[in-house]
Amino acid sequence: MKQPKYLFNAGRMSRHDNTLKFTPVDEEGNEGQSRHLPIEQVSELYVFGSLDANSALYNFLGQHGVSVHFFNYYEHYTGSFMAREYLLAGKMQVEQTKAYLSAKKRIVVAQRLIEGAAANILRVLKYHTNRNAGRRDESIPTAIAVIEQLLMSVPGTNDVPMLMGIEGNIRQTYYSTFDTIVGETFCMDGRSKRPPQNELNALISFGNMLCYTACLSTIYHTQLNPTISFLHEPGARRYSLALDIAEIFKPILVDRLIFRMINKRQLQPSDFRAEIGGCVMKEAARKRFVQGFDELMKETIKHRSLGRSVSYRHLIKLECYKLQKHLLGVEEYRPFKAWW
Amino acid sequence: MYVILVYDMGQKRVGKMLKLCRRYLNWIQNSVFEGELTEVQLKELLYEAGRIMKDDEDSLILFKNRDQKWLEKQVVGVERQSTDNFL
Repeated sequence: MKQPKYLFNAGRMSRHDNTLKFTPVDEEGNEGQSRHLPIEQVSELYVFGSLDANSALYNFLGQHGVSVHFFNYYEHYTGSFMAREYLLAGKMQVEQTKAYLSAKKRIVVAQRLIEGAAANILRVLKYHTNRNAGRRDESIPTAIAVIEQLLMSVPGTNDVPMLMGIEGNIRQTYYSTFDTIVGETFCMDGRSKRPPQNELNALISFGNMLCYTACLSTIYHTQLNPTISFLHEPGARRYSLALDIAEIFKPILVDRLIFRMINKRQLQPSDFRAEIGGCVMKEAARKRFVQGFDELMKETIKHRSLGRSVSYRHLIKLECYKLQKHLLGVEEYRPFKAWW
Repeated sequence: MYVILVYDMGQKRVGKMLKLCRRYLNWIQNSVFEGELTEVQLKELLYEAGRIMKDDEDSLILFKNRDQKWLEKQVVGVERQSTDNFL
């Protein structure tokens, strides 16, 4: 199984013996013991530290279809190196564009995406109602009721901005429960971005970004075009289809992981530091979180209709396939809804 | 499947074998590699290894395992190189 590699240490990556060689470099510029990474086992590279590389390396990575995702010092996603598209499919492209252009077709896909996202949000919240049952706190049950109400109005929407409005309300209600869920150690204080104002917001942003890049990598290995999206407006300079797909998986991948790591005290307020106008995670915490995310992505569940075990990472791919089938008119798209 | 690969080669060919194995598996010790492979990858690896090896002199041994979790690995002394995904 190909797996992503995460680079936190500064160092030099080079092509050596037709495979990858990574030589870590410490702050004084001393080279450490280099390590060979088997190219056949690498699905993609996530670069968090500073990386030296040359074009020979990127040529080599391109040949093997390995994407490289870069994150800056403030752990924002800066961009990706994507190998030449190798699964070009004109028909798929045309159908995807047609589905976007027709308001009628587009709204159907957008609605489904929201339904999936909301269903997964509700699943996460319901789990925490049971956990918090003894505390006589009504905020989660209230939020569930509100979200269910909002979800009912989704099928009635006829344009995307209206749908996005509902989506915004669902998220806001959802985030308002975070204080109840992890309120003892962290406070949410509303969702803030660019830059995130407090620890929990920094964590959510970081997690969402991991989810987003995971989706982007997956889309790359399907025939879908990552720039044409249905829920989010396809803009220039961004892969908005990844945002669409990530919407469904954020609650179960990112938020659950955040709650689990906080409740197990694997992440604490001391793992963060205030930066000018915002808040960022410290190096070690970032590594721990990515490690947690990686383990989670490898976890498997028994898929109901496929009848076999499927990893979370593969679930994202299945979601892309379903979307493809929908666009090609083979089978109607039904979003993934967690049942556990 | 999860494999452990060890080889013993004539001096002239040992370098080639090392380079080949590095492409597919994680190096853990001199002449010892481990890692997850698919059926096809294993076939590719063995085919290419066969082209390097001299059948009457060299040997290559594969230990195959269904999954990494069935393997209990104990390291005594220094771990020459770890195999995790975080660098």
